[in-house]
Amino acid sequence: MSVLQCNSLSKRYGKIPALEQVSFTIEPGRIVGLLGPNGSGKTTLIKLANGLLTPSEGEILICGAAPGRATHGLVSYLPERTCIPTWMSARQLMDFYGDFYPDFRRDAAQEMLQHLDIRPDQRVKQMSKGTREKVQLIMVMSRQAKLYLLDEPIGGVDPATRDYILSTIISNYNPEAAVIISTHLISDVEKVLDEVIFINRGQVMLQSSVDEIREEKGMSVDALFREVFKC
Amino acid sequence: MLRKLLKHEFRATGRIMLPVIGILLATSVAANLSMRYLLDNDAWFLSMLGILLLTAFGFAIGGVFIVSFILMIQRFYKNLLQDEGYVMLTLPVSIHQHIWSKLIVSSVWFIVTALAVILACCITAFDITIIKEILQGLGELFQELRKLQAYYAINGTAITIEMVVLVFLGLVAMCLQFYSALAAGHSLPTHKMAWSVAWYFGLQFAFQIIAFSLIQILDQINFFNWGIFHPEIHLDAMAGIHIGMAMMIFLTVVHGAIFYCITTFFMKKRLNLE
Repeated sequence: MSVLQCNSLSKRYGKIPALEQVSFTIEPGRIVGLLGPNGSGKTTLIKLANGLLTPSEGEILICGAAPGRATHGLVSYLPERTCIPTWMSARQLMDFYGDFYPDFRRDAAQEMLQHLDIRPDQRVKQMSKGTREKVQLIMVMSRQAKLYLLDEPIGGVDPATRDYILSTIISNYNPEAAVIISTHLISDVEKVLDEVIFINRGQVMLQSSVDEIREEKGMSVDALFREVFKC
Repeated sequence: MLRKLLKHEFRATGRIMLPVIGILLATSVAANLSMRYLLDNDAWFLSMLGILLLTAFGFAIGGVFIVSFILMIQRFYKNLLQDEGYVMLTLPVSIHQHIWSKLIVSSVWFIVTALAVILACCITAFDITIIKEILQGLGELFQELRKLQAYYAINGTAITIEMVVLVFLGLVAMCLQFYSALAAGHSLPTHKMAWSVAWYFGLQFAFQIIAFSLIQILDQINFFNWGIFHPEIHLDAMAGIHIGMAMMIFLTVVHGAIFYCITTFFMKKRLNLE
């Protein structure tokens, strides 16, 4: 069964369309890049998959079910900005995720925090912006979810942190799950992707495997992106 | 899951409420000491200090009520409708559980606040001659009343309980009115807080219109001459008070239930986190 399926999905904010007749499926075991310029509809799509927005038309299904309480247990979601409660300490955050998600691996989270020299009793508000983002990512990637939805996980962090984030994603995701990484920083994520979806002005322009792009078009994903979205 | 939500909600609110209640109790001790030793002191500095400590106690009482009230609104707004909402609303829990957790925790803090203020007043009054005399006088008055008839004692207790239930349900309905206005206002794409304020007053106005219209309609169909309202049925004053209190409790529950439905509708069907 597909992990994520969109059927003629549309979303409008008032009269302004954010997504128009989007249809695609994502199978388990794939790392997919949801690639597009700013304002192309990537975040809207991810919010719809999390039930944070309701579709104007069409449907979006997670493991065959509409987004809701049941699918929230299957999806591990990294929002585009730091949304973890800042008054909590790293230990309280682990308690929080452990209480609500049976698939949360506390030992994995502790190991990653230790690796980054983050004290468990340190409060999130005492951390730097980059550290907060890393802590949030650690919580998200410490789950054994069916679908990881990562919205701009490497936006706004330095290149060294980008490498750490990508290696955390690769080494911690559940191999039977699908990972969707939304970004416009293609060259940084290209090396970890199996598949890409190009999205622009709310419409899917292309869905293809990275190998196909390299073999058939003879160019990197980054080069193809620049060609497709040339201003 | 509701139990887990409550655990984390108490953790989030307790770190604010407990120190505030601690300050209230500390100022009540200071107020007690100032009334006993400072106010009548010949040294103007100590007398002034006593007045300042009593003023601080007054501010602490006001402060604890204001903080519990603001916290009720702030937790719903910040935890569900702002950035934290991305984490909270993607937990495997229902919207009903989210709303109940906020409602239960706010109600508990309202009760704790009231009990803390009563305790603080008792601490302030401890061993103060004039207050002891007042309390003694009240005790004697109640004893005289009890001697009069058990009827008044039982009904007096019942009315007190009814009043406490009514006030508590009124506070819950008030929380839900704020929640519904915030949920409705934040379903819109822009000026969310301004729309929330507009929704609050809009709902208030709509309820007043509906209540007034309902009374008019009931009067038109002669409802107030039926059943227990019939002119030939003579209820004694006490029964009338109990029936009135029961009706007010029922209407408050209906009032709260409507706001609960509005809140869940907007949170489930019109959620628009940005």
